[in-house]
Amino acid sequence: MQRNKISSNPAYSCDNWSDSNCSSCSDSESSIPEWESCVNPSGELLFIECDPVVSYSSNRLDAENNDFSTKNELRHSTRTKFLKILRRRDSKRRSKRTVKNSDLISTQDTTKVKFQDNEDGEIREVTVKINQERKASGKEASIEHLLGITVSTLSDGNRVMVAGFAPDAEAAKQKSIKIGDWLKCIDDFEISFHNLNEVLQQFTTKNQVVLKLQRVAGVDVTKNPPINELSNQSNFVHELLNVNSEDDLSLSEMLCEYPIGIVYINTDNLSESGPEFEGIVYGYPHPYEKNWLCNCRGVFITLNHLLHDLTHSSVHTSSMLCNNKLTHIGYKRFGSKLFLLMLPDNCANIKEICLIRDELLRMLEFMFQSIDHCFEAGEFRNQLDHFFARFFVRVLAGDWHKMNQKDTLLNLNDSNECSVFKFESVLPVAAHLPLPEEAQLQIDDALTELEASDYREWNEDPLDCRRLFTIIGSALYHSGHLLSSHFVHGDLIDVHMFCRQQGLFHLSRTEPVRSLVLWREVYPVSCNPGVPSEVNFIPEGRRYLLVVGSGKDLLAVIMEAGGCTEPAEDNMGPDAFYVEEVQATLAHLQDIGISNLASRWINENFGSHVIAPEFPIKRKTDFLSNISFVKSNLSSSPKDIGTQVQKKPEITSILKRRSSDHGPLFSSSLASLVDDNVEIQSEDSSSQGGYSDKGDVSDEPVLGRRAIREKKNMECYDDESDIEDYRDGSQSNSSYDLSELRQALLVDMADKRPDRLTFGNENVLYHYVQLDEKEGILLCPSDAQVYSTALDIILNSFRKCAQGIHDIFQNTLRLKEMLAQDVTKWVFNKSLVAVKEYGTLFECSLADDANKKYDKLTFWVIGRLYYIPHPREVYVCYQDSIPQNIVEISFKLGTMTA
Amino acid sequence: MSAHLLCITSNAGLPVFTRKKGSTESLPFSIMGSLNGVHMYAKSQRVKLLNSLMDDHCVAWKEFHDSVILIGISSGCTIQVLNKLLDSTFNAMVLTVGIEKIKTQRNTERLKRDLRMSYSLIDRLMESLDYGVATNKYSSDIISMTETILCSENHLLQVALEAYTECVDSEYSCILIHGKIAVATESWWSLHADEIKLLSYLATVDNMTSSKDVPVFLPYRCPNVAYRFVACMLIPHVQVCCLCGPTPLIKDIEYSASQCFKSALEVIETALRCHPRNLPNSIQLESGVLGILLINTKFGKYVVSRSPSTSSSKHTSNVSHRLDLLRTFFYRAVLSLINCEAEENKPEAEKTKKPDKVNKQLSKKDILTVCKETYWCSEYYKCHALISECNILCVLYTASIPTHTARLITSESLRILTTDKQLCW
Repeated sequence: MQRNKISSNPAYSCDNWSDSNCSSCSDSESSIPEWESCVNPSGELLFIECDPVVSYSSNRLDAENNDFSTKNELRHSTRTKFLKILRRRDSKRRSKRTVKNSDLISTQDTTKVKFQDNEDGEIREVTVKINQERKASGKEASIEHLLGITVSTLSDGNRVMVAGFAPDAEAAKQKSIKIGDWLKCIDDFEISFHNLNEVLQQFTTKNQVVLKLQRVAGVDVTKNPPINELSNQSNFVHELLNVNSEDDLSLSEMLCEYPIGIVYINTDNLSESGPEFEGIVYGYPHPYEKNWLCNCRGVFITLNHLLHDLTHSSVHTSSMLCNNKLTHIGYKRFGSKLFLLMLPDNCANIKEICLIRDELLRMLEFMFQSIDHCFEAGEFRNQLDHFFARFFVRVLAGDWHKMNQKDTLLNLNDSNECSVFKFESVLPVAAHLPLPEEAQLQIDDALTELEASDYREWNEDPLDCRRLFTIIGSALYHSGHLLSSHFVHGDLIDVHMFCRQQGLFHLSRTEPVRSLVLWREVYPVSCNPGVPSEVNFIPEGRRYLLVVGSGKDLLAVIMEAGGCTEPAEDNMGPDAFYVEEVQATLAHLQDIGISNLASRWINENFGSHVIAPEFPIKRKTDFLSNISFVKSNLSSSPKDIGTQVQKKPEITSILKRRSSDHGPLFSSSLASLVDDNVEIQSEDSSSQGGYSDKGDVSDEPVLGRRAIREKKNMECYDDESDIEDYRDGSQSNSSYDLSELRQALLVDMADKRPDRLTFGNENVLYHYVQLDEKEGILLCPSDAQVYSTALDIILNSFRKCAQGIHDIFQNTLRLKEMLAQDVTKWVFNKSLVAVKEYGTLFECSLADDANKKYDKLTFWVIGRLYYIPHPREVYVCYQDSIPQNIVEISFKLGTMTA
Repeated sequence: MSAHLLCITSNAGLPVFTRKKGSTESLPFSIMGSLNGVHMYAKSQRVKLLNSLMDDHCVAWKEFHDSVILIGISSGCTIQVLNKLLDSTFNAMVLTVGIEKIKTQRNTERLKRDLRMSYSLIDRLMESLDYGVATNKYSSDIISMTETILCSENHLLQVALEAYTECVDSEYSCILIHGKIAVATESWWSLHADEIKLLSYLATVDNMTSSKDVPVFLPYRCPNVAYRFVACMLIPHVQVCCLCGPTPLIKDIEYSASQCFKSALEVIETALRCHPRNLPNSIQLESGVLGILLINTKFGKYVVSRSPSTSSSKHTSNVSHRLDLLRTFFYRAVLSLINCEAEENKPEAEKTKKPDKVNKQLSKKDILTVCKETYWCSEYYKCHALISECNILCVLYTASIPTHTARLITSESLRILTTDKQLCW
């Protein structure tokens, strides 16, 4: 993270900036939004401003969250008459949202407040207990975890200042620690910002420490964030923002050395005697002479034609050895044009390259309406080059890079160890973080209000102009997790792909974003006439994507111009009013604590129900040997097994259940088995556990739940009769107490304990994924907090296996669709018909002899497919100790989303 | 539902042979030319084209010794299986003509004529591709592995075979029942799995006479010098095969065979009765079992039994479909798992050479992950595979068996099959 730098120019300081905003409320016409200058001639905008915070705390806490609330106050320039009218009234709306803000700021806002304490230089010593839980949790020792204090620097950039408190931290209860205090020493160690972490490391074993604090008076304690762009932009942000064609050119040459590339070819009228790179519409990296893909394109053009003629199906991938490196090519045919993507195997295997290819194409269609338009129009060339440069560097590096791109490339370790498999991160779905119902309700409420764009409340006079945009959908993200979406499914996937590929999620996860505004014209799939859609009528008009971000939150909105609103202009830029409107909504959501809630939800692994694997310590009689012991007696009658179990009470699961629940079932099945597989009910759903419920039925209760929730929502709306009041802009809103609401949300969560998805006393679930490609929603635990090699390896096995399972399921689904068609034309393997559950048992063992005392760790990876109401796949990974029932787990997962 | 196999010389691009399977037209010459052309062009660009995948088809190219290119096109099977088929096909070519003739190619026409001998082998090899078509005659063929038969008389046959092996002055010999190995000498099992498989096929294809004496080049053991492969029929469907040098004469070998097995004829006849089931009647498995496939990865041998439980034998209509299911399950679900293990073991070996710095954290390479079991549940059936060291048992169940019961039955069946001394597994 970046060093703190003091702005030499206080005019740009944060304080002044926000102060001036407050004043600008009154004379609104004069000020222009901060991003205005970044709008490019075609109307597109990407504006990112980051806080140059030294220790950017991983979970932004209460105290830091009011950035936007101050910005709420700002309402500036407009270009349309419409907005002028609105402005007269908009303060009403704002007042509703920011009732409490003024108080909050004075007590909590840490980055903007000046401390003018008069107790000059008083030094106090405070004893603080070190948080043992945090210590035990194995997290990296940071002051926040250990002491419950968040820190920042004083204006000299070196002295450490108390900036806030972690929730429920003991330090917060100490009256003598105040925000703005200079933290001089910990146990007589003088600390500065540079040695803070080192010093802290020494205390991780202690139980309590003595802090020496000095009150700083009369000084402007807030560090003034330097506005100097270069210093507060990480490489990542810098690369995101700046299209530097010279840099890109040299980068492109460096990329030529890798077996990567992308090319779009027009295969019409190719002649053997034509110019060397005839037919290439677009290619990356440059120059084409050094680009593997461009040089060998003849192979793929021929194959594409040839194999299509031969088999009447389109080619998906080709594999080849390039410099003895296994490399894959993904194909996509657009009429006579051909799109090719080439990546080495250690970056993407065959299954992954297909998904990545589809994702890229989907994003390009979203951005440029059609692939043809995207590559053929020369105007996008720089933009595409810039994007693909970042794309390939990222893919080669395995993840978003921290260093600048060239260094990343130079540091690439060519001898990539075992390949890392990707599953969740390449599927065309958005990872959903289901928050508690109350919070979900608040989000839906706010988004709905934004989408309604009902401005009557601010304006008693009838408007005499049309509005500029209709909002056709919105979605709220936190750290890349989808909190709520009001998009139609297809558009959600579009937006998600776009944000993922453009790095916006990475940005909100890792960078201290103060403000992000993105605006561009887009072609969502629901409104793209080129794409066949379910909706018959698509209004004339143009759509724009507006993404607004602050902290870890992102709010994406698609707006439509034309249709019932003002017709769109060419190269239309963002409109300040709408940007503010969206920003205000985001700020409102942060105000009511959604952001904190989500952060805590992720950090504390609420709702994720998973554990990290540990190698079991060897015991003389472990469970497995017991099983095998009993297994060897299987040939004897089931009765015997029952008695076996009674003798060994520690073997509960498989055997007991089997003998009790399944004794009869077993024998009956024996009888029925004779009749082959004719009238068989799908008993298999009782995968490990042995409940004989039928798989597909379980979907219906889910539906039911969803319905109930929907109904509940409706009731809530009914109860809140003040919806009408909102419209009237009446005073009843003043009772709408934000802090209370925030408190309620958090308290709500306090007694929330994760439901366990698995059976047994101990949680044995390592990972789960619920995949709903139709809705574009993925449900999986948030990223692991504790780094564990074992978990890494298990998850890698899981992902690899899940890829295979997903493939088989795709086959099953394809078959279902084709059932109606001519049976004789089938060319696929009929044995694959209707596979709906697929499980694999893995065994992990430590190779090292020193680790003899640890036993083997066995775990299941199981996938299951549900057809009703639409295809849904569930994948789980759990320890093989207690038999589980995948259907039951799926059901519980289903109720989570509902 | 089709498969094509082309063999083309690398330098001249001349087609050596084409084979096809299934209801399909032969490939037009222009398509064959293009398929070879793309590979050649890629080669000129210093790129080695390996394969292309489509919805249900896959194409694989493989060049051997810079002299011939084999191209396979198939529907319904995985690329892994197709690649193995190309390897086996080349081995069949080496087996019949020796590696030298293929490498030097002094006379392509001559090579073509010589290779004609291998067509029946290659055609049989192509039966290993799985389509999920129930009409397949050889749906028990599994790629790169040899089928065996487990008779309770195997231990008796083994004794007779050892005596015969000494008589013919060889180490390599085996007894085939319906083309499936009942017993073989230790040295026979020390051959490469592909060699064993090809020799078994060689003994059974084009069986016109009671004994067979053909020169063979062992693709792995000695691809340059020919051995004699001699197969003598003891009674119909039962052959004793051996590999030997120039002596003894075929007459002597036939005589030895009749002498050594004279006393064992009754035993052989009983063993023959084991045939369609491939398992002795003494072994009864659970009634929910529709078929089993037992594999030994070390020797590359397997036994497949379509209806181990006698009670379900009244349903014979879809028995061959069962074998197809089992095979597909093995190809798709199990084969990929065992192969990836081999890959993962490689870096492990490198790693042991240079011990890493002492690291408190477990490094990734310290942890080995192996697959132990896998299963499929379809709406109509269930497959479960248990991997235990080099033995793999895949069992096909009716859909009504609960999965945990299936697991128990599989592990118990594996124990029964592998521990029985009489079966000589």
